Amino acid sequence: MRSARQGGKGGLLSASRRRLLEGSLAVVLLVGGAVAAGLRTRDYSVPAGRKLEVLAPWQWVVLRDAAARIAAPDEIGSALMPSAGDLDVAGFVDGWLGRMNGRVVRDFARFMAYLEHFAPLACGLLPRFTKLTVSEQDRVLASLEASHSDLLRAGFEGLKALVFMGYYRDPRTWSTLGYDGPFVGRPRGGWR
Amino acid sequence: MRGRDLQPPSLSLDVDAVVVGTGAGGSVALRELARAGLDAVAFEEGAHLTWRDFDQREDHMLGQLYQDAGARATEDMAIRVLQGRGVGGSTVHNTNLCKRPADAILELWAREYGVEGAGPGALRPSFEAIERDLSVSEIDPSMRNANNDLLRAGCDALGWRGGPLKHNRVGCAESGFCELGCSYDAKQNALKVVLPQAVEAGARVYADVQVVSIVHDGHRAGGIRGVILGEDGAPRGNVEVRARVVVLAASAVGSAALARRSGLPDPHSRLGRGLRMHPGAIVAARFEREIAGWRGIPQSYECTELLSHEPGSAKRVWIVPAFAHPIGAAATIPGFGAAHMAAMRSYKNLAVLTAMVHDETSGEIALGPDDRPVIRYAMLESDRRQLALGLVACARLLFAAGAQHVTIPAVPPIHLSSAGELDALDLSVLRPHSVPLTAVHPMGTMAMGEDPRISVVRSTGEHHQLRGLFVADGSLFPTSLGGPPQIGIYGFALHLSPRMVDRARGG
Repeated sequence: MRSARQGGKGGLLSASRRRLLEGSLAVVLLVGGAVAAGLRTRDYSVPAGRKLEVLAPWQWVVLRDAAARIAAPDEIGSALMPSAGDLDVAGFVDGWLGRMNGRVVRDFARFMAYLEHFAPLACGLLPRFTKLTVSEQDRVLASLEASHSDLLRAGFEGLKALVFMGYYRDPRTWSTLGYDGPFVGRPRGGWR
Repeated sequence: MRGRDLQPPSLSLDVDAVVVGTGAGGSVALRELARAGLDAVAFEEGAHLTWRDFDQREDHMLGQLYQDAGARATEDMAIRVLQGRGVGGSTVHNTNLCKRPADAILELWAREYGVEGAGPGALRPSFEAIERDLSVSEIDPSMRNANNDLLRAGCDALGWRGGPLKHNRVGCAESGFCELGCSYDAKQNALKVVLPQAVEAGARVYADVQVVSIVHDGHRAGGIRGVILGEDGAPRGNVEVRARVVVLAASAVGSAALARRSGLPDPHSRLGRGLRMHPGAIVAARFEREIAGWRGIPQSYECTELLSHEPGSAKRVWIVPAFAHPIGAAATIPGFGAAHMAAMRSYKNLAVLTAMVHDETSGEIALGPDDRPVIRYAMLESDRRQLALGLVACARLLFAAGAQHVTIPAVPPIHLSSAGELDALDLSVLRPHSVPLTAVHPMGTMAMGEDPRISVVRSTGEHHQLRGLFVADGSLFPTSLGGPPQIGIYGFALHLSPRMVDRARGG
């Protein structure tokens, strides 16, 4: 009796494009990484006492800043809604990633690296993402959302989905939506 | 039995039949084998959860009920692929839609794909039996929520074909949390009905066991090898089962991946190919009045104006409502930041429809370097066009039902204030990667038929080259079904089970 792995044969054009893009991205990251390592990877600190599950400190900082912009409130929301920081969205995503398979975690880490070090450059901005002003950060995120690269757009959508999972999971975000939340476990007096 | 509770954490069994997967197909195969007096065991990779475990929280249940916590996607990340994980499979999180495969589809399979003995007449008794077991009934109009009623209103206003759907619920509380597991134990599904019948007949079911290979010698299946998973998902022990019959029912993705990983004979390179998925996208509309689309039965009405199952038809789009709870909605609404938050405040006034394509695209399941499945699917232009027509149709329906504003969440988003604007819409912008796509019905990767050049298993469900290996899930279907597959999967498993029983007895 045997049980041997049989690899897949062939592939479709879009898969080749993805690999080409991944390869190109990897090369860019590798080459640029040497410079980035020296100049752009300092001064990341997470709050004292925070224990990270999967993310490196610099990834957590990038995620925290990205989440703050993705879930940034409008004028009404700023008075009524908690912030992404209030809800520790970055911590939630770190924990979530801790339960995911290696491929997802790797893709996420790569996207964080791109967001922090290369996406600003693509927008003509020299500082890394976490050193930009909030309006500049919005510009970078918007450029990813509308990127000509399918992979970068997909990366942004993935980040956005995780951030909003961390944000809208909290009952404190529900009342302004008019959402009355789960019936199971509903506290007396309703969700707040 | 929960694998995580096994002490010591190892299992070595000699049985008549082993079933991989406990969804619609696996549960029926297991039950029929057990009812035939055979020693049958099933393994499920995910956990055994019951209605008491379902807390209606998206952030909790996505991770527990869905493969890859709902993050599974095609290799190019264009299409999110939602599949179940856990005892009961996708029947635990699905929206309970019950439709038999169309006669035209079954006839097509007989005529062009060499499927024998599975025409409408031959399958009818199996479909009827399953529908009785699952208490299938038409959804009463009084149970139609506002989102579904708008679809009906849109169909009526446009004179488009539509109608009520059938479901497998009894005692439904109309909570609207079906896709997160039913906390009221109202779903008459594999978990609630079929697996208990199997256990009553003597079958054993082990959760938290990942089958990693099918044991075979190139001519005959001999069993499986697997690992017992701990609560943290890490392997904690081994499983070895020797059996005369192995039934693959781990979904079109899981079964094909396992078959590839196991090096099954594949002389005509058919294994894993022929993937269809019913890719779909949504259109959202804002109404002046409150819709509260998250409440009530999610899908109780359908529009079939653009759907025909006749081969070669230019109508291949199925339209149903598709409202999401806040996390799902937020991920789909275009944009971010302040503008997105402002849009989310319209949440209770939104109605959402989805257009799903009865697809012709043929994708593939391959294996990655980590041995995990890789889903490859490059949408054909013909399907892309159907998708675009479907999205436009959804927009027309919503305007006809009284929408103030309609959004197609494309990149960039398409905002519409009247149906008249649809005529000038450039449909070429509606394509994968510019429109978020989701697929919930993967099928076709181990297709049935008598010609081994175009199929992987025979019309009996048994592998062409490997005696004793059967398939009992959506992998069987040679083409897209063009509708919800659960009755088709349950029904085919029942229809094919006599041959499994016969083989397990030594026939």
